[in-house]
Parts: sequence; structure tokens; C-alpha cells
Amino acid sequence: MRLVTHNMMSSNIKGVANGFPLLIEAAQVVEKEVDFNADFLKNIFARIEWKALVEASKTMGYSELLDNVESSMLDSEEFLRKFHHALLEIHLEEGALVCPETGRKFPITKGIPNMLLHEDECTVFVLTGHDLYHSCGTPGVLKALSIAVY
Amino acid sequence: MILVVRRPRTLFRIKSVHAFSSAIFSTSGCLRGLCTMNEAGLDSSIGSSAISDEDLPVLPPIAVRNDHGCSFSKVQATPEIEKKFVHSVYDAIAPHFSSTRFAKWPKVQTFLNSLPSGSLILDAGCGNGKYLGLNEKCYFIGSDISAPLINICQDKGHEVLVADALKLPYRTGFGDAAISIAVLHHLSTESRRKKAVDELIRVVKKGGLVLITVWAREQEDKSLLNKWTPLSQKYVEEWIGPGSPRVRSPSSSIALESIPENDENSFGESSDVKSHQNGDYSSEIETNSGNQQEYFVPWHLPYHRAEVSGASVNAVANGLARKDDKKGAVVYDRYYHVFSEGELERIVGGVEGTVIVDRFYDKSNWCIILEKTSQ
Repeated sequence: MRLVTHNMMSSNIKGVANGFPLLIEAAQVVEKEVDFNADFLKNIFARIEWKALVEASKTMGYSELLDNVESSMLDSEEFLRKFHHALLEIHLEEGALVCPETGRKFPITKGIPNMLLHEDECTVFVLTGHDLYHSCGTPGVLKALSIAVY
Repeated sequence: MILVVRRPRTLFRIKSVHAFSSAIFSTSGCLRGLCTMNEAGLDSSIGSSAISDEDLPVLPPIAVRNDHGCSFSKVQATPEIEKKFVHSVYDAIAPHFSSTRFAKWPKVQTFLNSLPSGSLILDAGCGNGKYLGLNEKCYFIGSDISAPLINICQDKGHEVLVADALKLPYRTGFGDAAISIAVLHHLSTESRRKKAVDELIRVVKKGGLVLITVWAREQEDKSLLNKWTPLSQKYVEEWIGPGSPRVRSPSSSIALESIPENDENSFGESSDVKSHQNGDYSSEIETNSGNQQEYFVPWHLPYHRAEVSGASVNAVANGLARKDDKKGAVVYDRYYHVFSEGELERIVGGVEGTVIVDRFYDKSNWCIILEKTSQ
């Protein structure tokens, strides 16, 4: 998992109001070279939560990012290189992401975060007449359902 | 609204079931042929709102069983039919599936190439990742609910994670574009299909584009339909409909079984689906009513591939797959809801802050491109 992904991700457990940023538990960090793409960096910059990126990269052992930045820095090659490195070249290979509100851990194995929720973390009940009609089948069943519900 | 139901077309017979532990699958299998789904209202031959009992199939207790939440769709709790006939199937066939999925669909490529350099493209339901990285000037992040498929993407060096397309763990508005290629037809209720569209829209920025493609009911190669197993009305009730699909076994050790007629001949690849060698039900499983949208589509996993993973052995033992010695393959069923013309537009029409930029039919798929018009 790269830090651009970390910066995009947010815990979506039911009831969590602010699932960003996920805390990082780093067991193994690796660096992999990635082609430099200035267009991408300039494009994504405005959407990056900078503080979260700085914290995350420190957790991963990289502390070259400035705490405060502004878009004019995108003209600086030196800045872009560091941004590029933090965002795309540092990988969390093994570890976990932790929901800041609930403490729920999402494991990262071989670089892949598993963000699947358990059913009790995501179930939402919604009444949908259309589903009822199309999926529940025959009117007879519908009728039975209405009786059961009302 | 006038509800019309057509008389079921299949016969039932009572059959003893010895092994009840496998009742879920033996029953579900049996249910496939029960009766074809005819959308209400399209059959003018019974133009009445009166539904007499004899118009309905003989329902075993399970059909009417209702836990109280029955009419509530669990939008985000994955229905059993998707777990068993989508997720676990892809998990089991992942390497073989991936080895057959390399052709890039030109329309998707065209869409990806149309995006500005430096775009962040989110592929929700990326499968083996064949579209990830297709535009070298853009950056891709893929997700899929199948960990084995995601492992394959990872091995190719793509940035991926395991996540549910109905609940993407992403901040709102982070992506420049999103794609959902051949994903929505694996979702078993309309509210889930709509929720997946909502998510695609949510995760892109204002002005961002979303490309969605789904299998069309209107297949260019009509003969394909004969290779698929239409899900019966009964099956749909049981699995896609309300409540959890646990089969409540009739107390007297009997289960209803349908007899799919003439399946020996009318099905091509899937003629193996079931063969009840009973000559007396020969007439009327219809090749297909034009309204059928729920199918099992077979996947043949060659024995030499199946042996690699113990998963297939388990799947066969659990009734999730069957062996076809003639073809030398383990046959899995994948659940599909094939889309009718206009259905995507209808679902999308209910999503606020979205306009349809383009829509087209290509290679038996319905496709739509949306633009997010508000934050």
C-alpha cells in the first residue's frame, strides 16, 4: 500500500463519523521506484490531506516532507520529487490500518489492505418497495410480506 | 398497480431428502427450474388483479417464512447468493479466470485514454486488474472483493486493496474518474446495484467521470442464453428475496424438487445442470421468456487447474460446484443479473448530482458514462 492510497482511504464502519486518517501500524516498509509523473502530483495535490501524509510518511520512516506547504511549491522540482517519493514509492508491505474512532484493525498483508467489514459493521436496513416487488417474487409472497410487516 | 402472475410452468414432486445437512444446496439446485420469472404486468392473458391461490406455485414453508425484517433489504450485508455464487466462485477460479481475461475491451480503453494526464482512476471491482495501468499517464487504484483476484493484481505490481464496491473505504471526491466494468450484474438486488452506482459517484470529484458496463439481457449471441441456467422465481425468492436464505427444512424430511424439463437437450454447455431422468415432464420449460434476467452462468474449471487448489474439492463436496467428467472440468455457477435496455439509466436516474454523458450498447454490454455535477 502506497501513501496515496492511505491518504484516500477512510474507515467506513457503520457509525464512524470521521474515519480519516487511518492510523498506520508498520511492520514492514519497502521502497519501490515509480515513474515520475508531475501531472499526477500537480493534479492530486489539492486533494491530499497534507498533515496526514506527513504523519504517515514519518511512521514509515520518511521525514523529508515539510509540515506546511502551498500549491506554489508545485513549481519546485525538489518539492515534487519528495512529494512523489512519499506518495508513491514508500510501501507498507506488512502491518495494519487502524480506525481512528473504533480501533478496528484492517490487516495489510503482502502490501494489500483488506478493508472488508464484518456484517455487524456495515448492515443498514432500507425499505425498498422496488426490491420487494422485483425480487421477492410473486404477488402472493408480496402479500404475505405485507402481512408480516404491517 | 395491477399485479399479474403467470401460472408456474414447472411441476413439482416430493422427494425424500436423506442428507439434510446439505439441504441448502440440494434444494437451491432443485429450485432452479421451478418456474420462470415473468415480470408482472407483461402478461395480458390474465388481466386481473385477482390472484387466486392456484396461480401461485405450491410453496414449501420456506418461501413464506418471514423473519420480521423481510421487507427490508439489507443493502450492505452481502446476500448469500452473492457470497456463494459470486465471491466464492471467483475466489476458487481466480487464476484460471485471470488467465482467460486479457483482452482489453476497446470501449474501456477509449474511455481511459480520454482522461487527462495525471488523473487518478479508481477501478471498483477490478478483477484481475486488466484495466489497471492501461493509460500510462494516469494513476490507478483497484479494488475487488475477491482477495485471490487482488493477489493477482498485486503480483503484477498494481496498487490494489480488498474492498466491497458497495462500501468503498475511500474519502468522498478523491478520484478523477471511476470505472465499474462487468461488476453490477453480480449484485442481486436493485438497491444494491444502485448503492454501487452511488459509491462510484461519491468517490469521484465534481466533474469526474464514471464508466459503468454491465452484461445485457439482449445478447448478440442468443445461443449463449441457452448455456445459462435461468434462476427460477422460487430461487429468486429464496436467495435474492427477503431474509436470510437458510432453508428451513420441512419437518417431515421432504423437500420440494422441481423437474426441469428436457434439460438434456435444450441446454448446451449447461446441460449438465441437472438431469432428472423422468420422462414425464417433457414439455414446457421455455427456452426463455424475454423477461428473464436472473441467471447462473457456468464457469468450467479444467481438472488440471482445479487440482491445484483444494478449494474445488471442497466446493464439489459442498454442492457449490459439480464435476463434469465429459468436459474434464469442475463447473461453477456464477450469479448474474443481466440488464435490460434502459435499466442502467433508470438506476442512475435516481442518483442525485449526476448527468448521463453517454450511453451505448457494445458487444452485449450496456454501458453508461456519468459525470458528477455536484460536490
